[in-house]
Amino acid sequence: MDFDLSEEQNLTRQAIRAFAERQIAPIARELDEKEKFSAELTHKMADLGLLGCFVPEKYGGSNMGYISYAIAVEELARVDASQAATIAAGNSLGIGPIYYFGNEKQKQEWLPRLCSGECLAAFGLTEPDAGSDAGSSRTTATLEGDYWTINGHKIFITNSACPLTGVIIVQAVTGKHEDGKPEISCLIVPSDTPGLTAKEMKDKMMWRASNTGELFFDDCIVPEANLLGKRGDGFHQMLATLDGGRLSIAAMGLGGSQAAFELALQYANSRIQFGRPIGSFQVNAFKLADMALEIELARNLLYKTCWLRENGRPITKEAAMAKLFCSEVMRRCVHHAVQLHGGYGLMKDYEVERLYRDQRILEIGEGTSEILRIVIARNIGVSGRAI
Amino acid sequence: MPVNMIVCCKQVPDPEAPPAVFKVVNNKMTLPPEVKPVIGQYEEFALEAALKIKDTAGGKITALSLGNNFVRDVIKKALAVGADELVLLEDKAFEDGDSWSTANALAAAIKKIGAYNIIFCGRQSSDWDAGQVGLGIAEILGIPAVTLARKVEVSDGKAKVERVIPDGYQVVEVTLPVLIIVTSGIGALRYATLKGIMAAAKKQPAVWKPADIGLEPSKLGAAGRRSKLDKLFQPVKESKCEIIGGDTAAEAGAKLAARLREAKLL
Ligand SMILES: Cc1cc2nc3c(=O)[nH]c(=O)nc-3n(C[C@H](O)[C@H](O)[C@H](O)COP(=O)(O)OP(=O)(O)OC[C@H]3O[C@@H](n4cnc5c(N)ncnc54)[C@H](O)[C@@H]3O)c2cc1C
Ligand SMILES: Cc1cc2nc3c(=O)[nH]c(=O)nc-3n(C[C@H](O)[C@H](O)[C@H](O)COP(=O)(O)OP(=O)(O)OC[C@H]3O[C@@H](n4cnc5c(N)ncnc54)[C@H](O)[C@@H]3O)c2cc1C
Repeated sequence: MDFDLSEEQNLTRQAIRAFAERQIAPIARELDEKEKFSAELTHKMADLGLLGCFVPEKYGGSNMGYISYAIAVEELARVDASQAATIAAGNSLGIGPIYYFGNEKQKQEWLPRLCSGECLAAFGLTEPDAGSDAGSSRTTATLEGDYWTINGHKIFITNSACPLTGVIIVQAVTGKHEDGKPEISCLIVPSDTPGLTAKEMKDKMMWRASNTGELFFDDCIVPEANLLGKRGDGFHQMLATLDGGRLSIAAMGLGGSQAAFELALQYANSRIQFGRPIGSFQVNAFKLADMALEIELARNLLYKTCWLRENGRPITKEAAMAKLFCSEVMRRCVHHAVQLHGGYGLMKDYEVERLYRDQRILEIGEGTSEILRIVIARNIGVSGRAI
Repeated sequence: MPVNMIVCCKQVPDPEAPPAVFKVVNNKMTLPPEVKPVIGQYEEFALEAALKIKDTAGGKITALSLGNNFVRDVIKKALAVGADELVLLEDKAFEDGDSWSTANALAAAIKKIGAYNIIFCGRQSSDWDAGQVGLGIAEILGIPAVTLARKVEVSDGKAKVERVIPDGYQVVEVTLPVLIIVTSGIGALRYATLKGIMAAAKKQPAVWKPADIGLEPSKLGAAGRRSKLDKLFQPVKESKCEIIGGDTAAEAGAKLAARLREAKLL
């Protein structure tokens, strides 16, 4: 067994940390307050190669593997969850489906533009009436002649309503299977297609500098060739995409936990009450010890899962575990960090306040904690599909 | 014209580490393991100077470093940001040199690398701040040196260099080959891109021992020093507080002025 990171993994951490601290940290609070997506920052991140992390160089990617990808997202999230969200969704949810399920022509058409950051791809799965129950999509696509006509409504779609949005992967019902179950497929829909309207969703509690959109499809027509992979494969494509996506959400939990720990440690060592640094009270030292312990476990679980992915092993159970654990570790870490900061932790002048809010999505997006426990239960031999 | 460049870069303890962790034991500086090494700040500027020329004129950059116990993923940053090759002079014999023995070894390595148009050095290393190695190399190689460069352009076998001077800058032109000592004005080193990191990971640095550059161990490191380190110590700073009073503010002020003059501070 070898727990050492490789040279390129260490270099990746150094490079992304330096970038995040110098280029993102100084403006993160302002972007959060103004609820502003920054195309400029997204372009800078793309210039570093942060889009297309697992895509071969021939399509413009940096082909760095999943461990380096997780490290990169972790380092971004340590400084700003919103920028990490843009990159995590841009890769796992946007580029992922096209790279893994697209045909050669679709890859040639989209991947170089997506990897260079010229535009972003979004993954349109969630609907107002189909959240955790993603199989109950009501958006339809009907094939007439050489064209699909799409009608329906998607909500909470990351990177789907910003100036850089270039294409949406839309999950839609394209027919019925023999057993009566809906046939689900994914379609590639360029964002300027007539009949598609995108509306930015405002007033979020967290990820305020990440773009979230609501999409309306009203007789939106795309060529038959825009079908992603095979007709009827949509549900399977969605599950595989979420497996990958969960690694990046886990990385965000890990990076956020690390940030909360570092801030809490620094504060606990310098804040004097009752004539002593508050960290020297055992009750507080134990909080810091618990944070360090859980971060260590979270990191090991996530990197191991990325290693499994790089080695072509199944990861459904482990990815669900990593996402669930990292997001809940971050919940405990931000809770302790705010507590250790006392009243100051509730003020926007202190970074723990933003970390505390940004944690909340991690237990909801890409599979709520409940859904993830269902996924794990189904994969450990608990009987009964209806768990 | 593609330009062949060599950049001397040194691995130094992270200068951002708090001063209190640096300890002197038996005339030697010791560091706790949590202080990680980095490429020196001025050497990063030197790398950036070379990369800027590669951006415009094209060419090849060889990063050259002398030391012991290189941390590979620290020193390989030079490759990750865009240097083409990395040569490490890595041996116990290179340890504890002075500016002279270091310049001597680097110059021997540069001769071995061979074809070069420009050698870039930082203005001084972030650990010892001696600022002599660059000029030493130029002297040994018998080539011109330009110090304190903040901008370098190459054309027609010549380099045009903007040199920082106290009240502005000076433009000098120099024929190649030349050694250029770079200052912060050149701009911060670019970030490594992930593609650059992946490319760097595939490259292995050349590691040269004293024999590879044809130098006797007696000319190297501690044995090759021409200056002797007499005493290395951390100054003890004492602070004392003296309250100067007076019945009125004017009187206190006058007494304070007298006291400051007595202490030769006024
Ligand atoms: C900022 C943000 C970005 C997002 N980005 C994207 C995106 O890019 N693409 C995309 O498609 N979606 C995106 N989403 C949507 C996200 O994936 C959904 O919000 C999530 O899947 C939950 O769905 P829901 O909000 O409809 O909640 P619901 O499914 O209504 O869940 C409500 C509650 O019921 C629980 N629950 C539901 N079913 C069960 C069950 N069977 N057993 C036990 N408990 C259950 C849930 O765990 C939850 O606690 C994003 C959401 C947010 C907030
Ligand atoms: C919105 C808001 C309204 C407020 N309103 C008022 C008001 O009207 N009037 C007023 O006077 N104050 C008010 N406060 C201040 C509030 O009472 C203090 O924030 C609170 O008492 C904690 O003090 P502190 O913030 O300085 O944290 P600190 O005392 O610095 O505590 C930091 C951390 O150290 C821990 N700690 C400290 N000492 C020990 C110990 N001996 N053993 C173990 N752990 C320890 C604390 O539990 C905490 O986790 C308000 C604060 C807020 C945020």
